[in-house]
Amino acid sequence: MSTIQILFFFLSTLAIFSSIMVLVSKNPVHSVLWLIAVFFAISGHYILLNAQFLAIVNLIVYAGAIMVLFLFVIMLMNLNAATEPRKNWWMKLTGVVSGGCFLMVLVSLVRQATEITGKNVLMKTGDIGLIKNLGKALFSDFVVPFEISSVLFLSAMVGAVVIGKKD
Amino acid sequence: MNAIIVSAILGVVMMFSGMFTKHKSTITLTAIAALFILLGANLLNSYGIFSIQVNTHELLYFNKLGLYFNTILIAATLIFVLLSGREIENVGINTAEYYALIFFVLCGTTILTSFNGLLMLFLGIEIMSIPLYILTGAEKRNLKSNEASLKYFLMGAFSTGIMLMGIALLYGATGSFALSGQSVLPPSVGIPGASFLQAGGLILLFVSMCFKVSAAPFHFWTPDVYDGAPTVFTSFMATIVKAAGFFAFIKVFDANAALLGPSWKILLSIVIIATLFVGNITAVFQRSIKRMLAYSSIAQAGFMLFALYSYNDMAYQGILLYTVAYCLATIGFFAVLMKVKDYTFDGLNGLAAASPVLAFAATVFLLSLAGIPLTAGFFAKYYMLASVVKAGGALWIVIAAVLFAAVSVYYYFKVIQSMYFKEGQPELNEISTGFKVGVLLLAAGIITIGVLPSIVLNWLYF
Repeated sequence: MSTIQILFFFLSTLAIFSSIMVLVSKNPVHSVLWLIAVFFAISGHYILLNAQFLAIVNLIVYAGAIMVLFLFVIMLMNLNAATEPRKNWWMKLTGVVSGGCFLMVLVSLVRQATEITGKNVLMKTGDIGLIKNLGKALFSDFVVPFEISSVLFLSAMVGAVVIGKKD
Repeated sequence: MNAIIVSAILGVVMMFSGMFTKHKSTITLTAIAALFILLGANLLNSYGIFSIQVNTHELLYFNKLGLYFNTILIAATLIFVLLSGREIENVGINTAEYYALIFFVLCGTTILTSFNGLLMLFLGIEIMSIPLYILTGAEKRNLKSNEASLKYFLMGAFSTGIMLMGIALLYGATGSFALSGQSVLPPSVGIPGASFLQAGGLILLFVSMCFKVSAAPFHFWTPDVYDGAPTVFTSFMATIVKAAGFFAFIKVFDANAALLGPSWKILLSIVIIATLFVGNITAVFQRSIKRMLAYSSIAQAGFMLFALYSYNDMAYQGILLYTVAYCLATIGFFAVLMKVKDYTFDGLNGLAAASPVLAFAATVFLLSLAGIPLTAGFFAKYYMLASVVKAGGALWIVIAAVLFAAVSVYYYFKVIQSMYFKEGQPELNEISTGFKVGVLLLAAGIITIGVLPSIVLNWLYF
């Protein structure tokens, strides 16, 4: 087994173990921390697939911004094991059914994709996830929407100031 | 391209204008001048005299119809600011920012009149919507305004999510953001020429666009938001923004309706009838005129949906005429309504005695909204219904629409009745002579278009 394969199996085990821990931890803050571990493991997978940009964006957006929001919500709502609401039996059943449907779709997808069977990493091959390609697409084909979206952000900023400023 | 760039720049200019002057009327004058510049820039583009050339990689497409529609929207905004500029100044202290946001909305509407792909459609809708969430909540001390803003924002965010899901499905089916992409997947059973991903994507797109134009099963946000927002901005939202939404709606489904086959017409006719029903029947029971106008705007949306039902030259002429008639009448009536302190029907009692000019102008606007002959609204409704007949559509929708138009006469005439035939002392705000001249000119314009609709339509061909 090469180093890369060892790395792959290590990251996969870490991802699966952490995601199980997200579900079974009683304390919601622990759940969130385990979720951060999941995101790091998945970012590691992206790097193995030669998609550095995706890996970094995944860390910045998910492990950075969204996790902080999660923590804020948990702290504001003051959730802990004692106040955990009793879940409805029907809610649990629907959760299992919808989750099972999603699992079925994913498994059938992986089984059908013949071009990835028997491979686990794409080090130094494939260039879909490189920032160079993204930049090329963004500044040639999609330069107009890229520039125009600045108007969107500007109006959102003006709005935030208008709403937030003291009268 | 002119109008997009110029409106974005003018928005920034308006934003900074608040730094240099403390006089709100100066800011309004700046905004009027800026709107003239924007109108000029768009006209220069329409006649090919001067246009900024940008390689858009076929993401934007400028044609005569789109540019003319944009001219109408900018001109309507100009009339809106000329008549109601004083009210914008009274909403809050951030007058310059409100104007800046209006210019950003105009940037969005310009994109919606010229997009050539789902990516630009999304950007246009968002640039148009986000400033509106803020304008709705501009009256910060008013709890109703805050509620309306939050409600609009949450519902709008959901509809944007639905739209993105639809665009994602269409992208999955065709591999491009083009308006009418060729599906790379095999067609499904029952939908000739479209794969299930494409059909699903189009339905989701349909739902989100219905939300934006407040068509019936997705209209629940409209009354609360229109009622809660400051009245000036309600006037802006109900006219210019809605018309731009309709233009985008028609443009998207013009390219795609054939894919959905006969089921499309059934779906659309259900939405049209539901919209007409909900709008007109609920408007009858309203006590507040502002809320009645919100429901009437749903009813008018039902009429505008006819342009989607029949894709022919008459439908496009109809939507142009309808936009002009509806925008002028609604902006005018809201401008009159804002001069009255009490927005209930009783608040208008005896307006004819207190201010005959205002009452007369308001009557013309209401007659136009109801679609009485000799006003612009009549030909607008006529073109819409005639386009359906010409397209060989089902006649029963036309008959139903005429019946609902008759219902609408009831609640519009109730306002006229309280203005002319009831005794009362309406509490009025200060009315300037310029305002009176303005509404009279607007009323004269509506009657002129009602007699000669060709003066609007001919510009499409010159």
